[in-house]
Amino acid sequence: MSQSGTRPVVSFENVSKHYGSLKAVDGLSLDLRPGETVALLGPNGAGKSTSLDMLLALRKPTSGKIRMFGSDPYHAVKSGQVGAMLQSGGLMPEVTVRELVTLVAGLHPRPVPVATTLRRAGLESVADQRVDRLSGGQTQRVRFALAIVGECDLIVLDEPTTAMDVETRQRFWASMKEEVAEGKTLLFATHYLEEADQAADRVLVINRGRLLADGTPAEIKARAGAKQLSFRLPAVNESFLLGLPGLVSLDVRGEVVHIQTSDSDATLYEVLDAGYRPSEIEVSGLGLEQAFLAITAEDDRDAGAEPGAAQTAQTAQTARTAR
Amino acid sequence: MRGILLLTRTEISRLRRNKRYLLFTIALPVILYLIVAKQGKAAYGVQFAAYYMVAMATFGSFSGALNGNAIRISEERKVGWIRQLRLTPLPANAYLVAKILTSMVTTIPSVVIVLVLGRFYGGVHLPLWQWFVVAVIVWLGATIFAALAVAIGYRFAPDQVQPIAMLIYFVFSTLGGIWFPLTSGVLQKIGEGTPTYETVKISTDVIGSLTVPPGLIIGLVVWLAIFAGLATLSVRSMAETV
Repeated sequence: MSQSGTRPVVSFENVSKHYGSLKAVDGLSLDLRPGETVALLGPNGAGKSTSLDMLLALRKPTSGKIRMFGSDPYHAVKSGQVGAMLQSGGLMPEVTVRELVTLVAGLHPRPVPVATTLRRAGLESVADQRVDRLSGGQTQRVRFALAIVGECDLIVLDEPTTAMDVETRQRFWASMKEEVAEGKTLLFATHYLEEADQAADRVLVINRGRLLADGTPAEIKARAGAKQLSFRLPAVNESFLLGLPGLVSLDVRGEVVHIQTSDSDATLYEVLDAGYRPSEIEVSGLGLEQAFLAITAEDDRDAGAEPGAAQTAQTAQTARTAR
Repeated sequence: MRGILLLTRTEISRLRRNKRYLLFTIALPVILYLIVAKQGKAAYGVQFAAYYMVAMATFGSFSGALNGNAIRISEERKVGWIRQLRLTPLPANAYLVAKILTSMVTTIPSVVIVLVLGRFYGGVHLPLWQWFVVAVIVWLGATIFAALAVAIGYRFAPDQVQPIAMLIYFVFSTLGGIWFPLTSGVLQKIGEGTPTYETVKISTDVIGSLTVPPGLIIGLVVWLAIFAGLATLSVRSMAETV
């Protein structure tokens, strides 16, 4: 509660963005407090990019209000309080990395020395190469460099580690931790849920333009149903399983049953009390990724919506895991 | 303001590496002038070498302001550079202001080089003030095309911009009497309304010490208003998509 008196760095007040009948963002309200590292999670099309665009004054909300450092987003951005890196942000062609970083640093009221930025972004070895001749991972690092060329109080990153290899990604998070240690607030959207789990002290889950969950990674996992219960049970009765206490989701594959449950003990006892004798019983905790998928899938089911968006994210995750 | 100047300086330095720009704005008019300047008869009441000098200076600078800018702006919008700039403390309109300032600076060499060529190769002799006035007219006449380039580059994708800019370039140079003077007929009737014709004709009228018809100057101002209006429309309608 020590932070209850501090002014939020960012606040969304019932913010919506509609494109015709599509509600990309639908009544989003949230506050970011100084010094927090916040991960923004959501399936593709959940409204993450639109929310970040509005926060950075690239798009205007249809309704609602966004405040940053007590002023409107445009003025906060123009006063140099925000460093941002977007997927859709591009680089000026025909100049070298050093020229570009020097230019953008020069636009900033509180520039960081160019050499420092190049080092933090791991760009020293390519500083004199032209930006239009870099690899995808190197380009991504230049984008990151442009987000940290100025002393700012908030850093916003949209899928910062996409196209980075594992080693670069680790270096990236190490340099990010340096930034955060200086007391900066960090908001990042990511597809790599293990990054959110490791780096963030707060996770926001959004789906279909609304905030579904807000808490520490541990709280998000707990909220999704803390445990996964699996067992083998021949001649299984699905309607019985659906009535089990604590059940969050059910997946039956032949004789093997997977249950996400908020109370694994109660769920299992009920199975046993009903006279069943399942074999190969396993109880395990949920990872953030499974928790995230459970939360968004539940939301899609409640809305009667096609779970397409969540499935896309799941497919993407599976593909990455396979790689 | 400091940011705009910094961006302008970077834009100018990268333009020096652009071969396409150097070819269209400097090499082509110089080569054409060397080949053609001594071939023609008097035009617009001045010696041919003087007419052709003004025409080539206009040609180089207007094609530089139009072609170079339109394609670059469109490409920079596509790759997201304009978006990236909007995330910096640079004011929202600074990108366009810097583009136009860059055009104003980078058209100076093509104007100066062709005028110097006119003096020493074409044998054009003018009082000092006339050199100065002609240079400024051609320079300003070309600059209005930077506004048209903004209008096109902001609205269309790079592969669409190329043919659109080429078409405008071809129409305004032919109808504007850049390749050969407009003397009579339908072509002249239409061509008289183009900003390229107006730029060339105001300059040759100054050289011939004739009085400049106010219609020509008004015409240029109207074109500037049209191009600036189109640019504003493009920028506004694309504001959320850059």
